[in-house]
Amino acid sequence: MHEYAITESILEIIQTEATRAGAIHVDEVTVVIGELTSFADDSIRFYFNELARGTMAEGASLKFQKLEARATCNSCGADFRPRNAFFSCPECRSAVFELRQGQELFIESIDVSQAEPTDIREN
Amino acid sequence: MKIEVKKNIMATNSSVAGGNRQRLAEHGVCMLNLMASPGAGKTSVIMKAIEGTRSRLKLAVIEGDIASEIDSLAIEAMDIPAIQINTGGSCHLTAAMVSAALDHLDLDSLDLIIIENVGNLVCPAEFDLGESKRMVIASVAEGHDKPYKYPMIFREVDAILVNKIDLLAYCDFDLVQFRQVVQGLNPAAPVMELSCRDSYGTDEWCQWLEATAMGSRLDLTS
Repeated sequence: MHEYAITESILEIIQTEATRAGAIHVDEVTVVIGELTSFADDSIRFYFNELARGTMAEGASLKFQKLEARATCNSCGADFRPRNAFFSCPECRSAVFELRQGQELFIESIDVSQAEPTDIREN
Repeated sequence: MKIEVKKNIMATNSSVAGGNRQRLAEHGVCMLNLMASPGAGKTSVIMKAIEGTRSRLKLAVIEGDIASEIDSLAIEAMDIPAIQINTGGSCHLTAAMVSAALDHLDLDSLDLIIIENVGNLVCPAEFDLGESKRMVIASVAEGHDKPYKYPMIFREVDAILVNKIDLLAYCDFDLVQFRQVVQGLNPAAPVMELSCRDSYGTDEWCQWLEATAMGSRLDLTS
């Protein structure tokens, strides 16, 4: 359910960026999601299709890139990927670590269409 | 045409949360974001805090619920300022909702604001509200396996409260296992036991709250 608020933010950001670039339509949006966030891409897609109706992003395709989690163990300094709920260092089993990556949520890029250049020689 | 955007989707919320934090710092007010699943006893825990600290702390409460004013009316009946936020279906509070609630409070007259977030163990943990501290309540009736199922919220809080401790004799809640699990997830967070029915643990909870509120004031004013 919290994806609704997230999707509103996505639409706001991409419309601002596309308008600034002089685009008339957003064709594709690439979103990066850290694997330890609780945001579900299916849910974002569902809300996006509804909320984008009637906007310059209507019909845009949403692409998701998962960013794997990375952590540094506070005890032994090992670099590892905390994959399950009970993260512990694979080297020393310590559960105390700094999470460096895996909680991101950002828009990587958008693909946009621009207006066809007007040919002033017509007419 | 491809445009590199590289923009944090949570940036708007984070920026409003930063504004809330700044505003509270200017007035020397501590704000606690209290999270738990529905029925864990958030409102009762807040009412215990009011009873135990009101002679020393000036409190206000921000109540977040999908609908109704039941909780804020209960707090107001104790003669404590309470602002009700009805999220209208949204499963968490946002920094903007809290910012609007702060407009209705006299910040100069307060030491501590307790936010009762919407009952949920997933979404509230993702949204910074500008709080000074975060806390989660687990209740004995929910079972000791909650930290296994919702590890993130237990990782990211400053304190953990086990409520309804008087039900230990009637439930299969393994307190030793619960403590071990949360200790592994979050070694720095104190785990406090509380019963709102018979007031067991109230002193520890109120002392933590006072120390947190006063410590936060010192941090803010130094």
